[in-house]
Amino acid sequence: MSEIFNFHRFGTYFLYDLRQMWRKHSRAAMLIGGSVAILYVVWVLCSLVFTQHWSAPMIEVRFMLLMVAFTVLELYQARTYGYLTDKMEGSDWLMVPASRTEKFVSMLLMTLVVIPLLFLFVYFLLDGFLSLVDPTYGKALITGFWDTYHGMINMFGQMSEASPIVFSTGALVFAFIIGYICNFLYFLLCGVFFKNHKIVWGIAIMCGFSMVLSILFGLLVPILMLKMPHFEMDELQAAHLVAGLMNGTLVFCCLLALGLGWGIWRRVKTLQH
Amino acid sequence: MIKIENLGFSYGAFPVLTNISMELRGGNIYGLLGENGVGKTTLLTLLCGLKKPQEGSIDVDGRRPFDRLPSLLGEQFYLPETVAPVHARAISFAKENGALRSGFDPDKFTAVLTEFEVDPEQRMDAMSAGQLKKTWISYALACNAKYYYFDEPTNGLDIPSKTQFRRAVTRYTAEDATLVISTHQVRDLENIIDPVIILDNRAVLCNASLQEISEKLFFDYGTELHPGALYLEQTPGGCIQVYPNTTGEESKVNLEAFFNTVHAHKDVVSQMFNR
Repeated sequence: MSEIFNFHRFGTYFLYDLRQMWRKHSRAAMLIGGSVAILYVVWVLCSLVFTQHWSAPMIEVRFMLLMVAFTVLELYQARTYGYLTDKMEGSDWLMVPASRTEKFVSMLLMTLVVIPLLFLFVYFLLDGFLSLVDPTYGKALITGFWDTYHGMINMFGQMSEASPIVFSTGALVFAFIIGYICNFLYFLLCGVFFKNHKIVWGIAIMCGFSMVLSILFGLLVPILMLKMPHFEMDELQAAHLVAGLMNGTLVFCCLLALGLGWGIWRRVKTLQH
Repeated sequence: MIKIENLGFSYGAFPVLTNISMELRGGNIYGLLGENGVGKTTLLTLLCGLKKPQEGSIDVDGRRPFDRLPSLLGEQFYLPETVAPVHARAISFAKENGALRSGFDPDKFTAVLTEFEVDPEQRMDAMSAGQLKKTWISYALACNAKYYYFDEPTNGLDIPSKTQFRRAVTRYTAEDATLVISTHQVRDLENIIDPVIILDNRAVLCNASLQEISEKLFFDYGTELHPGALYLEQTPGGCIQVYPNTTGEESKVNLEAFFNTVHAHKDVVSQMFNR
């Protein structure tokens, strides 16, 4: 049997990991996923108290809540495997007879696939159910998403015809996915790296990094403007610049995701208790 | 077989273990003794791979523990002094965790736990510290491991449970298994540990079987004082004296008296056993 990766052993370990996750975090995941139902109850109650009318939250509000809940879920990744830094629970995890690779792959699958899917499933299921039972609720968010997606394709199609700036919807979807992967991996790394205040450290480092970048660009842009006072750009050059910036950002995000993944792997490999 | 060569480990600038070398053979229950802070737990965590040796090496049947290879992790079990509470029933916990270990025997788990008078259906987060420890010990023994590293296993156990623990360890471990038990409670484990390893000031003071100890030292339980006694302890019915065995006569080793003798005459005993 391979000491690095064995499918049977991985399957057994993944099931074990899934049970552990369920035991430790199912309540929190249900609470975040069920936020749409909480919003509905609060909204209807407030509406009845203040306007004496039955009114359900609009789709825009539910969409905003989805974004907020997803952000909370991102932050929560710092806690899902946070127990690894705990002497007792972390030691138990290290002594589980599975290879480092299997533990790492399971960790990534859990963080990037299982937990977000569970969240979305609970959120959309409750949203769809409320849409079915309450006529004032309006369309379910998932059908609204589908419409938004088609609207985006049409909008960018029209923009492409009118302007030389070409946005591909595939690139936008990829940008969204890679952004989400980076955020989830970042907070997972904070979770397995810091012993205490994992979320606070994660946010603090992110804020610090953003401030440094803002200061850097704030200094760099005026200097460039002074160096090139007669710099002019036609529409085509501007389009290329935007496309180049977007591609550069995507490449940066891919490298960042790889770097974060490597950081988590190193931590799994070298963790000691 | 476990082979330790020139092992060294420090916490920052503070060295805990230096230049430790020894071999641990199968079929023995090693008692790891030593004062607080001499590195007993550190040595156990190094043996099971929770820590990486900073100097020297540990070899367990050709594998390094810190590589944490699944084959070795499946053959060993480390039981820390304080165990984690689990949000599950004892039997569910054992079955879920045992699924990853080829040697795990659920019937054995139930049998050992029943001997400890703990209900396998009881939730572990509702157990007392002693019951929780007994559940973990039962799980460890049901894993049928080849290498066991127990850190203070009798801490938190009541008097009957200590007897049950001794019985379970001798009854439910394989004949070729290697057990390393770190303890301060030598009386709890006196009848099962052999050989004895005594750590002191980062080094191994003594690594000897009870036979060797009784060949080199004589444990006198009489009332007549011996002029060459290395250690003397008054007891209600007389005294315990330990002195060099010059006659070759055998005596029953009292581990606590032995430990105190080593502690009081480190150089003498170290020379005696490390010749």
